[in-house]
Amino acid sequence: MLYVLSQLTKIYENRTVLDIPELEIEEKGIYAMLGPNGAGKTTLINILGFLEPPTSGYLQYCSMPVRYSESELQKLRREVVVVDQHPILFTTTVYKNLEFGLKVRGIRKSKCQRIIEEALELVGMQQYIQAPAHRLSGGETQRVALARALAVSPKVFLCDEPTSSVDIENQHAIIRILKQINQVKKITVLFTTHDRSQAAALAKQTLVLDHGRIIPTQRENIFSADLIATGQNQYKCIIQDNITLPISQAHVAGRCGKVRVFIDPDKIEFVRVGEGNFDSNSMQGKVIQVSAENGKIRVVVDSGVWITLFMSQNLYNQTRPLIGEQVNILPTPDSIHLLENWSQNPI
Amino acid sequence: MDLLIDSFISAILLVVSLDTEMVSIVAVSLKVSCASTLMAGLVGVPAGFMLAFGSFRGKPMVITILNTLLALPTVVVGLFVYAFITRRGIFGPLDLLYTQKAIIIGQTLLIIPVVMAFTIAAISRIDERYRKTAMTLGANRRQTGWVIVREARFGIMAAIIAAYGRVIAEVGISMMLGGNIKGFTRTMTTAMALEYDKGVFSLAVALGIILLAISFGINLLFHFFQGRIRT
Repeated sequence: MLYVLSQLTKIYENRTVLDIPELEIEEKGIYAMLGPNGAGKTTLINILGFLEPPTSGYLQYCSMPVRYSESELQKLRREVVVVDQHPILFTTTVYKNLEFGLKVRGIRKSKCQRIIEEALELVGMQQYIQAPAHRLSGGETQRVALARALAVSPKVFLCDEPTSSVDIENQHAIIRILKQINQVKKITVLFTTHDRSQAAALAKQTLVLDHGRIIPTQRENIFSADLIATGQNQYKCIIQDNITLPISQAHVAGRCGKVRVFIDPDKIEFVRVGEGNFDSNSMQGKVIQVSAENGKIRVVVDSGVWITLFMSQNLYNQTRPLIGEQVNILPTPDSIHLLENWSQNPI
Repeated sequence: MDLLIDSFISAILLVVSLDTEMVSIVAVSLKVSCASTLMAGLVGVPAGFMLAFGSFRGKPMVITILNTLLALPTVVVGLFVYAFITRRGIFGPLDLLYTQKAIIIGQTLLIIPVVMAFTIAAISRIDERYRKTAMTLGANRRQTGWVIVREARFGIMAAIIAAYGRVIAEVGISMMLGGNIKGFTRTMTTAMALEYDKGVFSLAVALGIILLAISFGINLLFHFFQGRIRT
């Protein structure tokens, strides 16, 4: 395991910005981290990049616990590189920017030249090698920052929203670069993004943060609900006053009243209208989105609230839901979890 | 009015003819002010850097005191240093009083707060991302510090130029600690004060012209560095 995090927290001025009970990140993978602004993505990137220590908890890197002494941190930072959301280049030439990381590692000048040229070629910026860095556009700056990070041959590449402030052309270029360095150079890549489809297209696995905590999916299928007991050991949750769903007793844990629930998209049954058995708990809705994601088909159904479900490729081939089609979906009692009790780690 | 015009014409002639006494006074002035600026830079820039970067209790108070010292009267510094280097002072045996070294010491003490305060301002304006970038690229503390100093180089240069401007034009320290000895500790400002006392203005005006020319040159240099920052 490359990283192991346990009971890790980060607190700024009495505000917990990160609270991760367990997290493991494997070597040579490509991971996306989703989450709204203020979710703790940048803080986690900084902790994983050894740029700031956690307030409490345990962090292990390459099977060794991280000790926060300056000498050890410096050694670790030479393996892990962070590229900011808005990277800043030193006010000198592009060449000197790339040379910096190599110089601090004591690499010979003749070797530096070759490494710099290769790194710039990878990001398609070789013609700017002697250009003043501060005259580059936003997209070019982002690409040079990637090259500068790549030049030092890191083991881990942490990118904070690499495509958020660049045009479409540069977005495609950056995605290509991230893919390439992961596949060709076998560098572990972890990047943050707001774009779920980008995360799905690029990453092997997705980590979702919300209010500093890892949650199962990005706000999808998370609802505020009223949890009520309808009989002995029978519970229902009411979403938006008109959608009533049974919930497994095992998931309730004695709670009642206002709760936040998560409906597991893998455990929602899908039936076309007029086909199969109609269950009184099923909901009718209109298909509004169908897309492929990590070998599964992601279907979003508008049934008063937007509910996402995942179906297997086989089921998709059989049912072929079309956008605009009316369908029945049935969240099984086992698919509904109180968010506070949900602890499955998505990675 | 005639007095001013006559003095101005005589002064121009003195400047053009490179009058020996005038050249000697200018040379002493440049020598002591350059030496004190160099000393203040060597002390003030690292001290300002550490103060800007360090975090300790009472830091805002230290910065407030530094800013107060920017307006330190030269005669106060002169008096303070005099107390140490006079024959009865603890550094009396070093025989520093009425020497160029004494002027340099006094001027250095005068402008260290200037260099420090301007360095702190220059470093504080540097984007935090430079530090983070240097660190993530594997730089140690010293290398990271060097990156910050490099990025703040024009601001630091401005600090040194401002300090030089302060010492080249000061009179109190040069007079009290140098003693205005002809050919030895007579600087442009002390010479001008003396010429005024004598009621002979040609040399005073000539030195005034040179002083203004130096100030103009300093400002040109300052704007050159400012321009470098902008481009």
